[in-house]
Amino acid sequence: MLKYNFKYEWLLLIRNRWIQVLTILLLILFGFAVYNGIQKVDARTSNIAEAINQFKTGEKEMLAQLDSIDKGFEVNASSWLVPTRPIVIGNLHPRVVNMPAKSTAFVATGQSDLFAHYVQPIVTGDDSTLSFKEMTSPVQLLFGSFDLAFVIVYLLPLLIIAFSFNILASERESGSLKLLASQPIDIRIWVLQKLGLRFFWLVIAIIITLSIVFIVFGFDFKTGFMSFVALLSIVIAYALFWFVLAFATNIWIRSSAKNAITLIGFWILFVLLSPSLINQMSNTLYPIPSRTLMLNEMRSIKAEATKKQDEILDNFLRDHPEYATNDSTQVRGFYQKYMATQELIQDELKPLLSEFEAQISNQHRLVNASSWLSPALIVQNTLNSIAGTSTEDYQDFKRQSLAFSKEWRNFFKPMLFKDSTFGKSDYKNLPEFEFSYAIVNMYSKTLGLVFLSSLILFLVLALKPSKQQIELFG
Amino acid sequence: MILTTLKKESKELFRDGRIRIAFILVIILTIVAVIISAWHYKDINEEYVLAKQSEREVWDNQGEKNPHSAAHYGTYAFKPKYPLALIDQGVDKYTGTSIFLEAHKRNEAQFDEASDQTGLARFGNLTPDFILMFIIPLLIIFIAYNSLTKEKEMGTITLLNSQGVIGFKLIFGKWLAVFSPLFALLFVLFVATGIILSSLPDFGIFSWSSLATLFLAYVVYYAIFINLVFIISGLVKKSGIALVLSLSIWILVCLILPKTASNIAEYKYPYPSKQEFAENITKDKKEGLDGHNPWSEASKALEKQVLKEYGVDSLSQLPFNYDGYRMQKGEEHQAEVYFKHYKQLKAQYSNQSRVYSQLAVVSPFLPTRFLSMSIANTDYTTHWDFADAAENYRIETQKFLNEHFAEESEYGDWSWKADADFWKQLPKFNYEPPTLTENLKHNIGNILILLCWLLGSFAILFFTTKSLKNVKI
Amino acid sequence: MIHTNNLTKSYGDLTALDALDLEVKEGEIYCLLGANGAGKTTTINLLLGFLKPTSGSASINQLDVVEHSKQTKQYLAYIPENLMLYPSLNAIENLDYFSGIANKNFNKKTLESILTEAGLQESAFYKPVSKYSKGMRQKVGVAIALAKDAKVLLLDEPTSGLDPKASFEFGRLLQKLKQKGVATLMATHDLFRAKEVATTIGIMKNGQLKQQWSVDEITLSDLEKNYLETMSYNTIEL
Repeated sequence: MLKYNFKYEWLLLIRNRWIQVLTILLLILFGFAVYNGIQKVDARTSNIAEAINQFKTGEKEMLAQLDSIDKGFEVNASSWLVPTRPIVIGNLHPRVVNMPAKSTAFVATGQSDLFAHYVQPIVTGDDSTLSFKEMTSPVQLLFGSFDLAFVIVYLLPLLIIAFSFNILASERESGSLKLLASQPIDIRIWVLQKLGLRFFWLVIAIIITLSIVFIVFGFDFKTGFMSFVALLSIVIAYALFWFVLAFATNIWIRSSAKNAITLIGFWILFVLLSPSLINQMSNTLYPIPSRTLMLNEMRSIKAEATKKQDEILDNFLRDHPEYATNDSTQVRGFYQKYMATQELIQDELKPLLSEFEAQISNQHRLVNASSWLSPALIVQNTLNSIAGTSTEDYQDFKRQSLAFSKEWRNFFKPMLFKDSTFGKSDYKNLPEFEFSYAIVNMYSKTLGLVFLSSLILFLVLALKPSKQQIELFG
Repeated sequence: MILTTLKKESKELFRDGRIRIAFILVIILTIVAVIISAWHYKDINEEYVLAKQSEREVWDNQGEKNPHSAAHYGTYAFKPKYPLALIDQGVDKYTGTSIFLEAHKRNEAQFDEASDQTGLARFGNLTPDFILMFIIPLLIIFIAYNSLTKEKEMGTITLLNSQGVIGFKLIFGKWLAVFSPLFALLFVLFVATGIILSSLPDFGIFSWSSLATLFLAYVVYYAIFINLVFIISGLVKKSGIALVLSLSIWILVCLILPKTASNIAEYKYPYPSKQEFAENITKDKKEGLDGHNPWSEASKALEKQVLKEYGVDSLSQLPFNYDGYRMQKGEEHQAEVYFKHYKQLKAQYSNQSRVYSQLAVVSPFLPTRFLSMSIANTDYTTHWDFADAAENYRIETQKFLNEHFAEESEYGDWSWKADADFWKQLPKFNYEPPTLTENLKHNIGNILILLCWLLGSFAILFFTTKSLKNVKI
Repeated sequence: MIHTNNLTKSYGDLTALDALDLEVKEGEIYCLLGANGAGKTTTINLLLGFLKPTSGSASINQLDVVEHSKQTKQYLAYIPENLMLYPSLNAIENLDYFSGIANKNFNKKTLESILTEAGLQESAFYKPVSKYSKGMRQKVGVAIALAKDAKVLLLDEPTSGLDPKASFEFGRLLQKLKQKGVATLMATHDLFRAKEVATTIGIMKNGQLKQQWSVDEITLSDLEKNYLETMSYNTIEL
């Protein structure tokens, strides 16, 4: 039977123009989505490049000045801008702590429109003032972006539904089922084969169109091949899931309109409702503490600390004798007080901030666990991971840049306390930042989806056929 | 005639178990959404009141201080939630709720909800506006997709025609059968919301007329959707195809076009990146007066001008503290720089809005979305308005502080401190959101487009029903 | 070949088929007459396994149709009242597909010869079936039966809606199959065609087989008289 189904399903799909329409539709959707994605990635990359460029220009000038000072020349700069002052280097020449786009970043916009891709931590700054939010029109954030992830998560299931909702019902409604059912075949296996073949052709169409689109937009397959394979696998697993659902509805429900409504119902449930329900649940179970109230607390801590700056510096130097100078005549400067106070504020804020972190990671855990309630969610998360635009990636960036920010402060701290000058030799020792993406297992979720689909398939086949299924024409 | 059809159709719809279930599901979802939103609304507003109060206390009790230190110490402006946010949260999730007001600097609003949540937040929340904008149109499709095709499929249309039922009357009866339960649902939801809002301790200005206008906007939106579904049902022969086509329209109108609009808007009229924006401002600031830098060219020029104006030879002879005066002048220059750059940003946003309006011609979702957010005061324009008000307050605060410094202290005396009581004299920040009339005026384009949609779709429906009489089965 | 024993199908209170005993041997054509709802189609659907009997049993080639539904379908061919094929495929392709999934593989030449045997004009072989008349589609149905080498043929109102010439040709085809030893069960309203092709004729009413004759025992006019009497008796009873 498979051989004949294979041969004639192909013929029917070609003659009814299904394959052609599907391929063209996929090409247009994928093409437009990838185009949009690349626009965004280009903007991101050029923003970072611009910042680095500006930094380099400043750096060059600064190095030249250091060089002149080394050689004993006068430099043409106001006294407080002379680069031998460590504070000048630490505050006016901050590193561009950036998060470069993955080669697959165009796949999913994810959180990339919400968060900034570079920050420039300075010595006198503190962690709470470092803003990781990008400047985007909130209307844009509300509507979201037409990216590849949108096409895959939202639109692909609808194409599959249109492609598969009436396999059996259309035979019944057109009348050909009678002749078919009088043949020595198991009608469920027949439906399974038909859907299997449609799945097969859809997968072929996806692979071909996606490859074409990726090639046209100059995707580097040499370095990104594994990501491409991971992308294809999750898309295929997701398609499989929807085909299995279509199989179940085809088997259990008679009329094609009811089939379509049932499948659309699943779509609404999995794509629209479950994510918002899970989100609501995570917000209710693990509410993020109020940021406005945090602000109040932060203000009081800071106000308190500023009032007692002298005392704080004394305590600080007692705890950190290495920063104390032997020169008892030296006046305690603004920056010494400031830095010591900053340190204390950071410490006092830590529990407050970690409360936020804890709730957010609690939410993450819940969301990860319950994402199995909605395959759409799993796929969206996986695509975000592949693209390196997931919430986790941005939190990672935040963590790494805060760590760097600390490193940067710590580098200058002894210099500031000892009032030493910054020399050309110190320059090489300045900390550098390079962002590293966390390595994610891209296949666990794909396998999970395949497992889920097989489970449903097995259940449908193992359940005794209902009276309705046997009596095809009641 | 219309009434008979209405009765018959309503009966049929009511007897259809699936439609009953769908209706009940939508009602349950709506109730859950309203309850959750009401909690959220209450929490946020309690926090708001608390935060506002304690921030003011912090400000009032900062003790003896130099006014300019106080300016750097700064204060916060908090954005309240407005009553109708209960129905439409708009862009609130993506806009910050507090703005730090300090010397020399206009800050962006901080702490938006979306940044603090998981990526899931981007799928959308279960809020009344999600149900109103997305789910109810789906319900309409579900109820109405086969209202005309089923007559064709069963062949009853010839029977109806032979009874002398004129196309349009038949359609209108059916139209009312779909519309009236939705109207009832919407009416109950809005009245319930109105009652909840008037019973909650009043934080904002809740007005029944805003609620009624919002109600009207959704009624029009649904009428358009019913028309679209009816037009499709009238044009095609099979229910299945009518369903698929109606759904495609829904996906296009509610999902694809808004996203596409956002992509086009961003591509054609991009926002600068946060850092780029800040750098441009810094560049412009440098070209003018910096209150902290008495040695710059701009400072020297100001000095000369002031000395000449007052006819004195040295700054200490001036009747006020020149340091404070310069601070204020510097502040004014910086405020101008911010004004200029934010104006550019706003212009960019207006350009983006034009893109949305243009695409509204193909998607009734867009004008409804913008109109609804605007009436609820949860739109981007209201946020701009709030940010501008906060900026004006910031400028006034700086003036208040600098003038006090200039008038009360001697030139060069940076150690001078204002009285601990002085801070209480600063007027409180009060923000009134745009009124309904202002919002409607601002949205005149959206309203017109929506009306065009309504009339246009009715007209098309009218013409398709004329030809329905001749449909051959 | 076809055998039913006390075959009954009821839906709640309604008995669609009431204890039917029927036997069709090799080379026989049994015509079931009766009004709509008399139980003719129910009988055929039960034999096809499309319906489950409430009680009693049916067998084809001595195999129970419920227990061995797949094997029995290997032996039988069925032509519904309105035979629908895949409209975008042509006759050869439809025949190839349906016999293929019934595990019969043929080359193109054989397929052509089977269609010729079923009486389809050669010019139509490669035209899409969507352009076929009902009679032509029925011929493809016969071809499918031929290709399957069916021992049993189940026909549900095959001649309704056919023009007299097509109906005549169809009768000739049935005769041909009969000579091959095929057992045919045909539900029909067409008394004339029944009298012409049948070996046995039965009249059904309210799910019961009321009368049964060998074709030689009865003339066409007697058949018509009996048929009408049964029918009117029916209405009186109602």
